[in-house]
Amino acid sequence: MEISLIGNSQVNLGRAIDVGFCNFSKNLNSKIFNVKNNSKTCNFVQSQSLEWKSKSVCGFTLTASATAHTEAAVISERGSRNSRTKPTNGVKLYVGLPLDAVSGCNAVNHTRAIAAGLKALKLLGVDGVELPVWWGIAEKEESGKYDWTGYLVLAEMVQKLGLKLHVSLCFHASKDAKIPLPDWVSRIGESQPDIYFTDRSGQRFKDCLSLAVDDLPVLDGKTPIDAYTEFCESFKASFSPFIGSTITGISIGLGPDGELRYPSHHHPSKKNGLRGAGEFQCYDKYMLENLKQYAETYGNPLWGLGGPHDAPGYDQSPMSSSFFSEHGGSWEMPYGDFFLSWYSSQLISHGDRILSVAASTFEDTKIIVSGKVPLMHSWYRTRSHPSEITAGFYNTANRDGYEAIAEIFSRNSCKIILPGMDLSEDEPNESRSSPELLLAQIASSCGKHSVQISGENSIVSGTPRGFEQIKKNLVDQNVVDLFTYQRMGAYFFSPEHFPLYTKFIWSLNQANLHSDDLRTEEEETAVSLAEIQRLMESAFVVGHWGLHSTE
Amino acid sequence: MSTAVISPLFRHPHRYGGGHRPTPKFHLNSRKARPFYLNYTQSSRLMFNGACSLSSRHFKPAKTLCLRASSTDIAVVETSESSDVFFRETFQLKRPEKVEGKITIRLESGKDAENWQLTVGCNLLGKWILHWGVNYIGDVGSEWDQPPPFMRPPGSVPIKDYAIETPLEKSLASEGESIYEVKVDFNTNSSIAAINFVLKDEETGSWYQHKGRDFKLPLIDYLQDDGNIVGPKKGLGIWPGSLGQISNTLLKPEAANSKEDIGELSFQKRGLQGFYEEQAVVKETLVDNSVSVSVRHCLETAKNLLYIETDLPGDVIVHWGICKDEGKTWEIPSKPYPPETSIFKDKALRTLLQRKDGGHGSLGSFILDEGFVVFVFVLKLNENTWLNCHGNDFYIPLSSFSDPAIHSGQTHSEDEGQHKESSPLGISGNASEENQEVSAYTDDIINEIRSLVTDISSEKSRKTKSKKAQESILQEIEKLAAEAYSIFRSSIPTFIETDLAKDEALEPPVKISSGTGSGFEILCQGFNWESHKSGKWYMELHEKASKLASLGFTVIWLPPPTDSVSPEGYMPRDLFNLNSRYGNIDELKALVKEFHKVGIRVLGDVVLNHRCAQSKNQNGIWNIFGGRLNWDDRAVVADDPHFQGRGNKSSGDNFHAAPNIDHSQEFVRRDIKEWLQWLREEIGYDGWRLDFVRGFWGGYVKDYLEATEPHFAVGEYWDSLSYTYGEMDHNQDAHRQRIIDWINATNGTAGAFDVTTKGILHSALERCEYWRLSDEKGKPPGVVGWWPSRAVTFIENHDTGSTQGHWRFPGGKEIQGYAYILTHPGTPSVFHDHIFSKYQSEISTLLSIRNRNKINCRSTVKIVKAERDVYAAMIDEKLAMKIGPGHYDPSNGSRNWSLAAEGRDYKVWEAS
Repeated sequence: MEISLIGNSQVNLGRAIDVGFCNFSKNLNSKIFNVKNNSKTCNFVQSQSLEWKSKSVCGFTLTASATAHTEAAVISERGSRNSRTKPTNGVKLYVGLPLDAVSGCNAVNHTRAIAAGLKALKLLGVDGVELPVWWGIAEKEESGKYDWTGYLVLAEMVQKLGLKLHVSLCFHASKDAKIPLPDWVSRIGESQPDIYFTDRSGQRFKDCLSLAVDDLPVLDGKTPIDAYTEFCESFKASFSPFIGSTITGISIGLGPDGELRYPSHHHPSKKNGLRGAGEFQCYDKYMLENLKQYAETYGNPLWGLGGPHDAPGYDQSPMSSSFFSEHGGSWEMPYGDFFLSWYSSQLISHGDRILSVAASTFEDTKIIVSGKVPLMHSWYRTRSHPSEITAGFYNTANRDGYEAIAEIFSRNSCKIILPGMDLSEDEPNESRSSPELLLAQIASSCGKHSVQISGENSIVSGTPRGFEQIKKNLVDQNVVDLFTYQRMGAYFFSPEHFPLYTKFIWSLNQANLHSDDLRTEEEETAVSLAEIQRLMESAFVVGHWGLHSTE
Repeated sequence: MSTAVISPLFRHPHRYGGGHRPTPKFHLNSRKARPFYLNYTQSSRLMFNGACSLSSRHFKPAKTLCLRASSTDIAVVETSESSDVFFRETFQLKRPEKVEGKITIRLESGKDAENWQLTVGCNLLGKWILHWGVNYIGDVGSEWDQPPPFMRPPGSVPIKDYAIETPLEKSLASEGESIYEVKVDFNTNSSIAAINFVLKDEETGSWYQHKGRDFKLPLIDYLQDDGNIVGPKKGLGIWPGSLGQISNTLLKPEAANSKEDIGELSFQKRGLQGFYEEQAVVKETLVDNSVSVSVRHCLETAKNLLYIETDLPGDVIVHWGICKDEGKTWEIPSKPYPPETSIFKDKALRTLLQRKDGGHGSLGSFILDEGFVVFVFVLKLNENTWLNCHGNDFYIPLSSFSDPAIHSGQTHSEDEGQHKESSPLGISGNASEENQEVSAYTDDIINEIRSLVTDISSEKSRKTKSKKAQESILQEIEKLAAEAYSIFRSSIPTFIETDLAKDEALEPPVKISSGTGSGFEILCQGFNWESHKSGKWYMELHEKASKLASLGFTVIWLPPPTDSVSPEGYMPRDLFNLNSRYGNIDELKALVKEFHKVGIRVLGDVVLNHRCAQSKNQNGIWNIFGGRLNWDDRAVVADDPHFQGRGNKSSGDNFHAAPNIDHSQEFVRRDIKEWLQWLREEIGYDGWRLDFVRGFWGGYVKDYLEATEPHFAVGEYWDSLSYTYGEMDHNQDAHRQRIIDWINATNGTAGAFDVTTKGILHSALERCEYWRLSDEKGKPPGVVGWWPSRAVTFIENHDTGSTQGHWRFPGGKEIQGYAYILTHPGTPSVFHDHIFSKYQSEISTLLSIRNRNKINCRSTVKIVKAERDVYAAMIDEKLAMKIGPGHYDPSNGSRNWSLAAEGRDYKVWEAS
């Protein structure tokens, strides 16, 4: 005898919620046949005009058991015990939260989606999430007036689920997510556009402040460094209950998209890498002054009048003009060396300044501070490395540009975050790029200076190939100890993508299970079963809650 | 006795509609003979159907049970005296019945000039729901919004955040017939620009749309009219929208077309006029009937006596046979047969049941010798409707002595399998009402992840328990992910407000749909009208495969592969014989393999409209088919006198040279699906080019495509453009609408050749009338202007050009044509003869420009000039192009343009 319940999305939870189920089945037993004896699979036909007398009983029971387990869910935050989450080599797995997780008016966007998403990630065995905290949101209205409410709500959600939190302090704006710089900063920018990076043709890059104004009192008497410092202090004070427990790391914004670089490309990069080399960004008033001074000190004031005259435009092929020519290009000439040394040293001192702000602010906590370095892999296979050069990395066939970078991270005891873990060599390659070689070079510089690396992916492409590459970097190459997958959102959870991600996580965890099994198989099984039981309980609460909210 | 449900309603709620209906009904059979019979009673309205939603054939007399509602609470057990009846069963039948009715739309002013009332009604029985939303003034795009609360009539339910569903209330119309109506009050001072709605019948899940789109009632003047506006000035055409179900709309928003092309609104208030309109509507409902079968063994005569009784109205023919063993081979028993029995093709018998005296229903009895194991039958109604049991024949066991397990054979063991599985039970208060999106999603990927877990688990030979637990965790993860997905997705519009073009990093994932492929497809038609002549075309193409790949093609369309009366293949005969004038089946397989190797997908040219017979019927008419699909005249449409078909009337136009196939017959569709699936598996075809789809309803194409899940499919819907006094009309909207309608009927599962564009290019190029290339709204005038993702643009094919030349593209202007289609949205198709001609290098350049700039079927096109002697457009802001002798130069904008291709009367520039 069989009865079937269609549309049941909670099959198999029976064990975890014995109480609720038993009531229900007994209820039925008394009225229908001996369901249990004949069949352990009991399904119930439910249809609109079919009114179960017992339906209300069923609903009630569900609610009761859900309530009873709410506490269990909260308790199960001690998820770190969950041994499934640690791959053998100890790479921690994080997922980035949506860029716009907190809205401009400090409300949490798509709360329910994030809540469900976090739970899914928790069950999947992910360690934590990355949360972008925007200057333009937390200090939106006026200088020194902070509002952390939205972020605090999120931190609490994350904490309740026993996940870890990595906070990215973003001092830039994001076009993708429509998050601007703070209003008060933008207002200043209106009257003093030279606080922004500027290119040869005078275009301003208004998504972050020029590194040349770091120490200048351009923000109503405050320097940007002051503003960043106070922001960090306020963050630290407001999030003190989470710091060191839930919040285990922060990364500090170093420039465009948070990365340590010049905004040498004004438009987001194309999917398959940059076609052009980008342009030098040394044309705001302060950069030019700085360059002039440097040239005078150097003894060749004529070189300080502007940037290279023979550099190509944004999307032009770097080989189309003489600056980056493979042989005898200006970059190899004394002028080129003069300019590039200055240009790159400006970026390095900027990085050093900001990292030391963050390092000293969080010195007395357990928080690890990181900064992001871009993977400017286009044109890596040329001698002049044009993409890296315009972005501020004086890394050519003749010179290692990443030693100095690794050094400032090392000096401030900071970690480097490297994107591009998913990029592999034979992507469509018009621009002679090589993400893998560049990654190896940076990793080796970091190794020399004992700087740890966290990885990120660049593209949410959701191809099995991308995941293979990540896995290779994580497991085989063993370059990183933490990997943040970017980023949660509709596509992340879509049927095209999520199964691949799940597969990826499982394949990473598999290695771990092997080694655990070798140790104490019996015990391990028992432990993980208990763990699973608890997770299922909490999942049930989630599911129940979710069911009603989708009505 | 148990009751079987014939239609698998519960398993596929959206096939029959979103509503979950209580189909199982409990029929009391009042006939005297009653086997072991248990009366179960229950005071509530609990309905219960034995094991039957899972097993329709549960033939265990001793254990079968019947429930019926009664007011007592005592279970009664009866045993029957006449123990000779060893089988009795009532099968539920679903008989399709069409009802005609009308939808009424009335707009009238209320208490003053500002208050108006919209009334939507329908006079058909049903659980009607108005699914509606509004556009506000200033809205960009055509997404619906929810109306303000004061507009919502009582009983309205919000659907997500964009629509409202309001049930229609039953009221009495003037003639005394009942009508379902809903009234929506609104005020013209509110900032509402339009009211959009569709009608939905909850009972059947059908959607009733307007010309395949939403009904739209504009409250302000639109600059653009997408043809779906209702109101005084417009005609209406109603589509019974059983095609566009909500699940599809939700799951594949891009498959539902209606929201693609609505442009800007003007903000001028519209002087509202009251109106009243009626539209005919046809609703197909399934009527419940049943058939009861009982078998009695007569000891004296050693024969079995089988009774069939049904309440089906009209003449009912039992199409039946006998099986001697468990194998399902039908045989004909020896005589005598019941009255009104005829032999059908030596395989089956057809017996007309006798009408019952009361006039309702029929019955018949069959005397059968011992020794037969199973009586098999299907029911045929007069109007050529066939009824069967879950898609199978009805199987009635004829032996009471053999082990009952044999009869219920498979079913029984399946049940046991399920018992053993002992999956933990779950309950869920209202899970069945959960939105389909989630469950469909879950179904999709749960399996994948499950198999993955199984892999992992088995690899590690973990304990079953733990495996099970992991599986349930994964299910939870799935469910949560699905939920997160649906919420995130519905909130996307607020996230990305403006130009998507900029954030290329967020480029949406490539979605494969049979209507569009990847969206970046470029077709090559890989043959011409002469290709059969060499007898080894497959081998010749083999040599060209890598060349075609290097040119940038992603899909090749191969000639029709079947045995055919005409050498070109378009008069197919034996569908399963793939030896043709183009080569044999092995060469074909090798060719497909080669194309796959070079990265090109292969379309099979399938002729589904007609098929040539292999023998004549008794009247000397060629309508009896041969080969594996040995259909007879039942498979031929009835309305072509040449072929004396006994099927239904054609659902489309007739092709008069061969018998047209009646796709409304289920057995025909089943066979065609099987054939297409065989082609997919055996040959490796990735998709279809569907010949002459004007000949049958697009809904059947949808059925075929869903069964075969091709990567890409395109239909040939070729009819004539509009001409006035021999000159082509500028406005070819009616022509393209017919093609769009067909695509719509396929629910967007197939694209269609853009015949409109070809026709307009003819006039424009031949007569130097380039102004024709922009329609009145500044969009491309062909199908590509209205539904670009489903338009397959072409300038020539084997019929129009080649040695037939039915409608040849203006000579010498072919490259202009290609400069148009290869730079524009839609999926372009290039003709073989043009590729292997002097044009190759120019075509090659245009192909690489298209690929390099990632122009795809959904690219946006902005027409810059459409004048007498020049047409110019920008595509995705990446390309600029012009055709025609006139002058055009894009380089006055902010962008730098570099010339990428140039030739006689055309130029293409790329943004640099």
